[in-house]
Amino acid sequence: MQSVKCRVSVLVVLAFSVGCEGLCRGDELNELPLEGWKKLREVERYQMQIAEKYWREQNWKAALSEYEKFMTLYEKSEGAPFAQLKWSLCQCQLKKQNTAIKEGFQSVIDYWPESDQATASAFYIGHTYKEIGRTKEAKKSLRDVISKHPAHLATVYALADLIEIAATEKDEATQVELWKKMTFDLKRTQYAVGPCQQASRELAVYSFRQVAFDDGVKALATTYAPDQLPYHVQAYIRTPISELVADSKTKAKGEKLAETAVSWLKAQIPADIAKPEGKALARQAWIAVADVLAVALKDADVPPAYEQMHKLFSPDDEILGRFAAWHKSKTKYDLARAVYGRYADKNEGLGQIAYSYREQQNWAGAVQAYNQLIGQDAEHAVRWKPELAATQRAAGKWAEAIAVYEDLYSSDNKNAGRWRWEVAATHQQAGQLKEAIGHYRQCENFPENYKAMAWCHRHLKQPNEAIILYNQVSTHQPSAPWAYLQMAYTKEEAGQQEPAIQAFQKVCKKFPKDAHAGIAHAHLQQKYKISVTLGGAAEE
Amino acid sequence: MKSLDSYTKALLILSVPYALVWTLCTLLWRMWPETPMVFLAVFVLAFPLGLAWVNWIRKIWRSSGENAKIQSAAAATWVYLLWWQLAVVVTDWGDLHDWRSSIALYGTGGLFLIGLGWLIWWLERSSRRIEIRRMEAVAQTESQAPKGSWNPLDPEAWYYGRGSQKLKQSLVGFSTYALLFWLIGLMLSQVRGCHEVYEMPAGGGQQKQLAVKQTVQIQKVIRKKFIINPLSAIKFNVPPIDEVKLQLDQATEHAYAVGYGEGTGAGYAGGTKFGKVRLIRIEYDGGDWALNHGVGGDLNMLFEYGILTQQKVAEQTESRRISQLAAFPPDKSPPVLFMTGQGSVSISNSETKVLRDYLLNKHGMVFASAGTAHFHNQFVAMMNHVLPEVRPVPIPMDDIIHRAPFAMGKFPYVVPHGGKEPLGWNVDGRWVCYYHPGDISDAWADGHAGIPSDVYNGCYQLGANVINYGHTEYAKWLMSKGKK
Repeated sequence: MQSVKCRVSVLVVLAFSVGCEGLCRGDELNELPLEGWKKLREVERYQMQIAEKYWREQNWKAALSEYEKFMTLYEKSEGAPFAQLKWSLCQCQLKKQNTAIKEGFQSVIDYWPESDQATASAFYIGHTYKEIGRTKEAKKSLRDVISKHPAHLATVYALADLIEIAATEKDEATQVELWKKMTFDLKRTQYAVGPCQQASRELAVYSFRQVAFDDGVKALATTYAPDQLPYHVQAYIRTPISELVADSKTKAKGEKLAETAVSWLKAQIPADIAKPEGKALARQAWIAVADVLAVALKDADVPPAYEQMHKLFSPDDEILGRFAAWHKSKTKYDLARAVYGRYADKNEGLGQIAYSYREQQNWAGAVQAYNQLIGQDAEHAVRWKPELAATQRAAGKWAEAIAVYEDLYSSDNKNAGRWRWEVAATHQQAGQLKEAIGHYRQCENFPENYKAMAWCHRHLKQPNEAIILYNQVSTHQPSAPWAYLQMAYTKEEAGQQEPAIQAFQKVCKKFPKDAHAGIAHAHLQQKYKISVTLGGAAEE
Repeated sequence: MKSLDSYTKALLILSVPYALVWTLCTLLWRMWPETPMVFLAVFVLAFPLGLAWVNWIRKIWRSSGENAKIQSAAAATWVYLLWWQLAVVVTDWGDLHDWRSSIALYGTGGLFLIGLGWLIWWLERSSRRIEIRRMEAVAQTESQAPKGSWNPLDPEAWYYGRGSQKLKQSLVGFSTYALLFWLIGLMLSQVRGCHEVYEMPAGGGQQKQLAVKQTVQIQKVIRKKFIINPLSAIKFNVPPIDEVKLQLDQATEHAYAVGYGEGTGAGYAGGTKFGKVRLIRIEYDGGDWALNHGVGGDLNMLFEYGILTQQKVAEQTESRRISQLAAFPPDKSPPVLFMTGQGSVSISNSETKVLRDYLLNKHGMVFASAGTAHFHNQFVAMMNHVLPEVRPVPIPMDDIIHRAPFAMGKFPYVVPHGGKEPLGWNVDGRWVCYYHPGDISDAWADGHAGIPSDVYNGCYQLGANVINYGHTEYAKWLMSKGKK
């Protein structure tokens, strides 16, 4: 359970860091601190709030005008540099980055050189240069920020940008230098912590790739507490080991790295595992050992490691699950099933056995296991019956699958809509299109059910019915371009060439800014050799 | 040897010198494709000559004997070569680029097969002769035939082994032939452009927005009357006219000339009197490089560019393979190359190097437009391969490329195959690639894809901006080189 939590937390942190990197680097730099708001007069505050409201709504044009208004009306206000900064950021959003740099950010630096916004502007100049591909200027500006404001948050973001540039330019030496600076030298303040942690992780992965195990651990140790370290070492060493081992030239290096990692992980196992904390730590380290051995393709060493773990921490279905998954990765399904058979939770074990049959496309075995499971775990029949039905569908036993879904429909009222949809989808898959339409009609998930019904009508060679349904789908705004395109295809399939051409042109004309217009346009050109597609738009 | 009849003699007398002239013309035409009129007459002669040979084949085919068949086949091969090349030249001259590339491609395939047929015949005949000779020698001396021949025409050469000797001989023959064919093809493809140069039109100007002619609306002005008290304390010190320092350079600058440099007229520094702006398209494998090429396509853009900028432009658009770019000297290279299509893009490693060299060392630029979403992915992948150290970025709307000579308020496109904003690859502050994701070449083509006039006019202006940008940057580079 502990390792699952760890894994989830790692994924969340990664997703968050990746998402934030792209979306809002430097967002903390463009917010007016509470102290700043206090210094504004009421009228100024009012005007600024209007501008901020448009900014939050991403109405950049209106926000730009409001910030400009603020600067015109309250030129000498404490909020003027902030308004100028935000005006520049609005220009960036309006794709006028050169104006933002020359007339916006630079003005903040020139007119209010001592303000906090001047430092932020210095960073934004470099960042904007980077965003418009002028890396030379970006590097110079960002290096300036780092040298002039080493303790400012802008330095953290500047370093992160420089790392990104170095990665694009494949300048490994600079990347390492900057990662080290962020990992070991910078103070991890509230907003700096995220980018610094990210740098430490990247430095660790790099060090592992260079077979510098200790350096990697040292980098990770700046981010993770000692009790979390084994898990994270294993998480970040997996890819380097598997890459090194996969290549015959670097296989020896990979194996050496794996050996070092295993010794280090074993050294982290506490001697006393009587206490829950010690036991959790030992379990985590053991799992990491087994995983590293598996990644390093040390097949002979993996089963003893799991058996040892099983002895130490039994009963522990998660460990057995990992062991079985390793067997499956080696296509030893029988051995995997034997391990699932040792589960403390017999129902879960049988469920896994059934699933392993499905993975092997052994439908009969899977059906038998699921039936047994439904019998012995009647309390959770709602969990197992859909699995049984999915197996029957995969096996092409449509009637049996539909019977199971109908059973679920009557017994599981909460999810009745879902089971009706599955019944319809099974009929559709079976080619029983009329029945499928009847069941889709009873579903309530417009427009998806209409789309599916239209599909069935098209395959029943009933284009008019399909077109009526697509027309109804087109009332759903986001689906409208798709629906119009489908109408065109339907007419084309029905041999109505002229109406089909007109329908394709309609897609281009009605939705010139949508990607579906591109499909219609290309289709008209390629299939009908028609160049007049009636699209055309201009993006502000 | 049987004496030749008068018809055959006449044909041979005509054909031998014609073959020499034809070969020379073919090579010259490959080098200077812009001067086809002189050569066209030579190539057109191939048609009646070919007909005469066909007539000769008809006659000779009926006569018995193996030699007659061989001579007919040789004559047919000669006619094939003449007529194939004639078809390529005529379609090229008539700007039927799709036809030209198809005829060139399938014709090459045909030539390969004909050559293969001759190879098989020759191999079979030679090996049969050797075997007969060997059998005769064995019969005469009544001893075993000598082993270990080195002659590749001998199926019993030692390197063919003991089993399946004929198969091995055929395989060796085929491989050698294919290799030679490919090498000759490669050499011929390099022939063009040994002396190829691109010359910009001479002139000058500044890289700035073109002054827009404003419509003047006459309004009635009510003149204010000022009554000045001559006894007031205000001192009116109007300087004499000679002391007014006019900034004449600014006041008299020609705001309507498009170009760059210190020369006069619309054009560029480093250009020549006979130089013209040419729109050269990149030929590539895998897809339809000739989409909207030539008359009714990108030629509209070239002419529109001439009208919009008053610069001299070429009479036709052109195309080159990437490998041919190597033939341009660095200071006479095309500043901009255009590329579009709907299908896949396949360029070899050597072409990647040539294109990279063109972009970085010859200060070139690629102007590309997506014909489909598939092309978008293909092109971006190609550029990432050519310039892996440069990341594509959206080009700002206030960049000089969007402002000079025409200020683009909005970004016009036909349909968004690859997004709604232009992408650029920037190297040292210069756009080496401008990528239009919305099929700009369709907007230039006849009919303008049926899009509104303001959009296609915007597309012409955008095209003019990009072409002008490429030439301006090239002129700047030439000037900086000159100063050094």
